[in-house]
Amino acid sequence: MKKLLLITVAFLSISAFGQTKYEKGMTKAFDLWQNGQSWEAANLFERIAQAEADDWLPPFYVAQINIFNSFNEKDEEILTAQLKKAQDFLNDAKAISKDNPEILVAQAQLYTAWVAFDGQRFGMTYAPQIAQLYNDAYKLEPENPRVAFGKVDWDLGTAQFFGQDTAPFCKDMEAAVALYDAYEPKGQFHPRGGDDYAKQRLAQVCKKE
Amino acid sequence: MKPTKRPSISFSIFLLMALIPFVTFAQTEVSGTVLQKNGTPILGANVYLDGTYDGASTDANGKFSFTTEETGVQTLVISYVTYETFMMAADVSQLKDISITMKEDVNSLDTVVISAGTFEAGDNSKVSVLKPLDVVTTASALGDFVGALQTLPGTNTVAEDGRLFVRGGDAGETQIFIDGIRVFTPYTPTTNNIPTRGRYSPFLFDGITFSTGGYSAEYGQALSSVLLLNTIDEPDQEKTDIGAMSVGATLGNTQKWEKSSLSFNGSYINLAPYIAAFPDRNDWEKPFEGYAGETVFRRKFDKGLFKLYAAFDGTNFELTQEDIDLPEGLNFRLKNNNFYTNASYSGDLGERWKIQGGGSFTHSANEVGIMDSNIDNFENSVHLKVKLRKRFSNRFKLNFGAEQFLTNFDEDFENPFSQARYGFDNNITAAFTEADIIFSKKFAMKLGVRGEYSELFDDITVSPRASIAYKTGKSSQVSLAYGDFYQQPFNDILKFNQDLEPQKTQHYILNYQYSAKNRIFRAEAYRKEYKSLITYDTQDPFFSSNFANDGDGYAQGIDIFWRDNNSIKNVDYWVSYSYLDSERKFANYPERVQPPFANSHNLSVVAKWFISDWKSQIGFSHIYGSGRSYTNPNLPGFLQEQTRDYNSTSVNWAYLISQQKILYFSVNNVFGFNNINGYQYSSAPDANGTFNRRALLPAADQFFFVGFFMTISEDGTDNQLDNL
Repeated sequence: MKKLLLITVAFLSISAFGQTKYEKGMTKAFDLWQNGQSWEAANLFERIAQAEADDWLPPFYVAQINIFNSFNEKDEEILTAQLKKAQDFLNDAKAISKDNPEILVAQAQLYTAWVAFDGQRFGMTYAPQIAQLYNDAYKLEPENPRVAFGKVDWDLGTAQFFGQDTAPFCKDMEAAVALYDAYEPKGQFHPRGGDDYAKQRLAQVCKKE
Repeated sequence: MKPTKRPSISFSIFLLMALIPFVTFAQTEVSGTVLQKNGTPILGANVYLDGTYDGASTDANGKFSFTTEETGVQTLVISYVTYETFMMAADVSQLKDISITMKEDVNSLDTVVISAGTFEAGDNSKVSVLKPLDVVTTASALGDFVGALQTLPGTNTVAEDGRLFVRGGDAGETQIFIDGIRVFTPYTPTTNNIPTRGRYSPFLFDGITFSTGGYSAEYGQALSSVLLLNTIDEPDQEKTDIGAMSVGATLGNTQKWEKSSLSFNGSYINLAPYIAAFPDRNDWEKPFEGYAGETVFRRKFDKGLFKLYAAFDGTNFELTQEDIDLPEGLNFRLKNNNFYTNASYSGDLGERWKIQGGGSFTHSANEVGIMDSNIDNFENSVHLKVKLRKRFSNRFKLNFGAEQFLTNFDEDFENPFSQARYGFDNNITAAFTEADIIFSKKFAMKLGVRGEYSELFDDITVSPRASIAYKTGKSSQVSLAYGDFYQQPFNDILKFNQDLEPQKTQHYILNYQYSAKNRIFRAEAYRKEYKSLITYDTQDPFFSSNFANDGDGYAQGIDIFWRDNNSIKNVDYWVSYSYLDSERKFANYPERVQPPFANSHNLSVVAKWFISDWKSQIGFSHIYGSGRSYTNPNLPGFLQEQTRDYNSTSVNWAYLISQQKILYFSVNNVFGFNNINGYQYSSAPDANGTFNRRALLPAADQFFFVGFFMTISEDGTDNQLDNL
């Protein structure tokens, strides 16, 4: 009994230390990201990712930072390298967590970065894939605000491109934005953001007269 | 931690607690500098000990420093985009003030690529000249991928044929491969003066590589050119495509499951209503009718992808064409059934080994009637291939493989006076190996060799291939290529005589390429030597002909390509010009002369303009070809005269009614140029001793096309713009 307790306590403390290290690392990475040092954050996520082989979150965030930072990149060489890196880490995340709507959304965003870079060149290839990814994610988790908003934002953008009326999408977009308030992240470091952009975008495209 | 009254346990815990800080405090500092090859520091590189959280990013001076609790031998990793990840195993205590120079990742975008002879069409290939979409939005192409490739330099305008004639080569000198496996009968059969089309629908493919010379040792049995088509690995979504056209209808459907997908595509073409509305120069007893079905099944495995492609098509028509020797005209009937299937597997074997293998089977049956003669033939062909690839490093890759071709051809000939049955078996065994050596981002080399054994001729050929590329600037490069190429005589010769040798060419190519900001400029000079071409002593090959390998010749010229997608908003255009100087002795030629399929100057201009406000894309293309040689029996000499120049302007208009409904119009030769493909002279002179002639005109000067295409998919965003 003595031994058992000792072993339990020892394990508890070790795992508590391990947890702390992970928590410390993740918290620091998010701090760096929030303070505008996104590449430093990506590097730290990358280090955590290679140490924690069973956790999809660190590779997911490496991919996400590379994707977000690609949206305003004009140099094709850098863009290609960043999106390739993002794809590699996204593949790692997918291998750990299958049918994960957050990863599907990130994949859709990665393709959107290509389309944003050169629509004429990549639009025809990626547009149907992006639509399909949002559909698949929506089937898995319709109440996830990033899924619902991403889907309606993409559909609205497509309608805009084809010169169609965007008004029918505004209702869905409002509903998607409202989901952010009710959404409970699945864990301390699980994705939770996006509402600021969503609200801004809603105000921009669906102005109330 | 729970306190306990038991002193021994408290003591143990105390000991444990005491030990942990002790371990924690044993920290070692790891520090150093990360530099580029030229000594410039790298900012933002990720430096860490593998498997730990311990690491840091480099600062503006390339410096890094962090502490670690790890001891002993650890692996230091440095990663940074566009550089090869650096790894070094060392004792942690040694990792102080180290200096590391990182190597550029030669897989990155600006690495030199071997471009001599090759045009790539694809979204993600490093330099793509055509996009998959271009195949179907080029005004003159009418949805035929071969038609789109005919706007590239190095191809010759042979309007009445429709096949690819490359750099002074006959159409049979180009081979077509689907997923690396040979297609034996790629074109729909047709008759004199009616252009053929590629059998396969363009939108099952997402990668097209067209090589006009100097290609890899992986491909053989092609004297001039190879066209490599890759089927789509994974379709985007489930959908149904419906098309109604002025000449027929199409229907397609794609289904997806978790690991597999199935696409089906069918079409029916009947020219009867069109010919009734716009009669052409032929007298059609049975207007052209064609039906085709294609299907692709794909299955993903953990480490590989299996694809099965199958296509069936049938053609049926009968017509009477004008003929100078036959006042009542020449009657021609054709029924063709063609079946092609191709299975391929590509997978990862681990340890940087990759395998690709597959096979194809072709069955083609023709029933041809010319006046009172009937010719029935069938061909069964098989191609089996396996290829292995080992990536030793990013800088050295080795490919090798083996393949087997089996062809069985039989023909029955029958007319009121005679009857004959003949054919051949042609089996070829080949092996190839090729190495890719990338010395640096600026300099790369490909060396290969291919050996072939022909059972029919009991003959072995060995063909070396080599190419090098050197980057001359940020956006420009020069490549050189050399290769020997062998090809068996074509079926129309082999069916009468098998006591021959393979024909041979040698290619020498010098290529310059500039590409930046959606603009590409290419210039290529080449010289091609032909040896052992087939000759015979009759008008057409026949039983009684004397066949020999006595022919030879050359082709040399310059190809220029310019594409600009950047200078004019919403306009994408390209210009191709080819100069060709070619003479050869082959077939029944008495001496080296310029063949009719090797005219000297060819020019294509293609433009596309997207008008958002009209939801339309308007396309334009113009094709010019200088005159082609023909023989005038009224004068001394052979192929001594030239036709007038060829010109054709085509326009098309795709209008998006809504996201999923498209209306499409096109007109070929909108200005109605009267083009002459050649002349037919009477076989005997008239009373005045003159041979009379008849111009070989296209069946119709112009062709109109109207189509409506609709896609039904779950999310309603896909459309068939890429099918047009």
